[in-house]
Amino acid sequence: MTAGPRRVAVIGGNRIPFARSNSKYAHASNQDMLTAALDGLVARYGLEGERLGEVVAGAVLKHSRDFNLTRETVLGSRLAPETPAYDIQQACGTGLQAINLIANKIALGQIDSGIGGGVDTTSDAPIAVGEELRQILLDANRGRSTQDKLKPFLRFRPQHLAPAPPRNEEPRTGLSMGEHQARTGAEWGITREAQDELTYSSHKNLAAAYERGFNDDLVTPYLGLERDQNLRADTSIEKLAKLKPVFGGKSGTMTAGNSTPLSDGAATVLLGSEEWAEEHRLTPLAWFVDAETAAVDYVNGREGLLMAPAYAVPRMLARNGLRLQEFDLYEVHEAFASQVLSTLKAWEDPAFCQTRLGLDQPLGSIDRSKLNVNGSSLAAGHPFAATGGRIVASLAKALHERGGGRGLISICAAGGQGVVAILEA
Amino acid sequence: MATASKAPRATTRRLSSPPGTLGLYAKAALPLIPGASNLPFVAGAGGRIPRTTLTLDGVRTDRDQLAAYDRVCGFTLRDELPSTFVHVQAFPLHMALMTDGKFPFGAVGLVHLRNRITQLRPLGADERYDLRVHTMPIQPHPKGKTFTIVSEAHVDGELVWQDASTMLRRGKGDTSAPKPSKRQSPPATPTCPAPSELPFVALWKLGGDLGRRYGAVSGDRNPIHMHAYSAKLLGFPKAIAHGMWTKARCLAALESTLPDAYTVDVTFKRPILLPAKVAFAAEDGSFAVRNRKDDTKIHLEGTVTAA
Repeated sequence: MTAGPRRVAVIGGNRIPFARSNSKYAHASNQDMLTAALDGLVARYGLEGERLGEVVAGAVLKHSRDFNLTRETVLGSRLAPETPAYDIQQACGTGLQAINLIANKIALGQIDSGIGGGVDTTSDAPIAVGEELRQILLDANRGRSTQDKLKPFLRFRPQHLAPAPPRNEEPRTGLSMGEHQARTGAEWGITREAQDELTYSSHKNLAAAYERGFNDDLVTPYLGLERDQNLRADTSIEKLAKLKPVFGGKSGTMTAGNSTPLSDGAATVLLGSEEWAEEHRLTPLAWFVDAETAAVDYVNGREGLLMAPAYAVPRMLARNGLRLQEFDLYEVHEAFASQVLSTLKAWEDPAFCQTRLGLDQPLGSIDRSKLNVNGSSLAAGHPFAATGGRIVASLAKALHERGGGRGLISICAAGGQGVVAILEA
Repeated sequence: MATASKAPRATTRRLSSPPGTLGLYAKAALPLIPGASNLPFVAGAGGRIPRTTLTLDGVRTDRDQLAAYDRVCGFTLRDELPSTFVHVQAFPLHMALMTDGKFPFGAVGLVHLRNRITQLRPLGADERYDLRVHTMPIQPHPKGKTFTIVSEAHVDGELVWQDASTMLRRGKGDTSAPKPSKRQSPPATPTCPAPSELPFVALWKLGGDLGRRYGAVSGDRNPIHMHAYSAKLLGFPKAIAHGMWTKARCLAALESTLPDAYTVDVTFKRPILLPAKVAFAAEDGSFAVRNRKDDTKIHLEGTVTAA
């Protein structure tokens, strides 16, 4: 054990291109995709046969048979089979939280290296049988005699065969995430134009990043896909303006363009102590400085479902003695353009900052030219648990590229949660 | 008021086991047959409510029934009983009271207007308790007559739970009777917003089989809840959700905010025709179930206050 916390290096990342739902990766499982991303990372950093401290990853939509998804992935990868692993799940915060857990263990000296990440598929989704049939099957399974085992089937009705796919809605409110954000966006007065503009920038920036080869050492092609399938390099404000609203009713402002599509993909990030990186002749891209997780009461507390990052960031800033403006790059995950804009507006709002955050002064605005400079989820797609790994790797590289600086990451998650982090190079 | 010959005599009847509700429903339906109320064992002939108290001692909780009830209503399965679950345990006694030959109305077709439950402390699932159920005198109402069934649960002589259910018998009303909206729900004040003003909390999707599912866990198999066909026979276009399910669902949604001792008081405003999507709204102890598109159409409104 070392005396104090150690610096944690973000050494690099690797992901597979993100695919649109039921397309290129329709027949790939979570384990397939996570293995592809992990093996790409292993190859890139020469980790074949290496025993790492730990691998932490997770998926939001997971088959019950994948109870040990990450460990199974490690066993099927080129890492040493002696590398321990475990799964976590914190909705869309999964990837960043996994990386944070690795970073904390490295900082404490419990491990010297590790990989964090996540994967999700909306194509190979875990479909369950309906609740009635599930109860019948469970009761039959509990029966001891043949008669006990058969009796529950008297309750069986043909309509019980209808499958129960995972529901994209908050269990306590019955609303989809998009419907929640439509309410929050309306409260903050987020316009359609502003959302389409942010969406356009996301596509433009991601396309430019691919053009200049920025993603060459961040992305490994998979199943015939070389770039994120959702990327529309040729989109325009005019094209986006034509789309019909999908959330918030007929007068809604949220469309299939300015909301992230269902997607499939996986992302991983390699972290290590300074010494470990040196021993392995690897150059750190950035340092993982701090992270904070917040949650809001979106059920009874009249706060928006996706507003938790607005609370997490000021707490993390205070702990690090930083102002919101003291960053060179900002990575605010674009679950919906409306979510990003609501968060930025909340930080500018004196009333919100005073009553909700307990601050004397609002956090203020950010320089929008520093926001999501290499594109974000609106263009790349958003395979829930994979997004954290995509953002950490991309921001670390961008900070390294500019020769230093500080970056802020903000990711909102289902259940009224948010994970945020600071990287420095 | 009904014409009365002489004041009914107070009696207490001790039951040794909960009466079966299925048979009681058959009995409850008898007054629907013209002339049947003239028979001595069929309810519907009397003018006054008999002053009968029914008691059932040593009531136990069936853990499987509790689990099934919690699941249908949305409660977390705990070692304590939801306060609305005790109502379900008392319900067979309600039915026994209302199907008594001396009871003035038939139980089928009664409209549940209001339910108020006070829990003085949570009842444990392993505790045995004694139930006492009696009926308050008939009151005039603009749309007929109302009466209230009071139920109490005692543990070792200590009152732990009380429930008052007010039922309406539609009929020739008393226009001089105070309007229920004025008597039962005070106007909105800054601290108590009108149900239409409460902030939206959740959208609930209620299946067409909800009445049958709740009927199975509660024993309340009133035909108006079971199926569109049986509901039509009694004048409803579709099966309607049980009022006590709707109340329980609200309580389950507020579960994390409830103190150990509280009163939850609801008025049933308009039936929910199944299947349905309804909006649940709540703030600071006031709550409502509303039409999802029209906030002014209220199915249920209620309050929870610390007791």
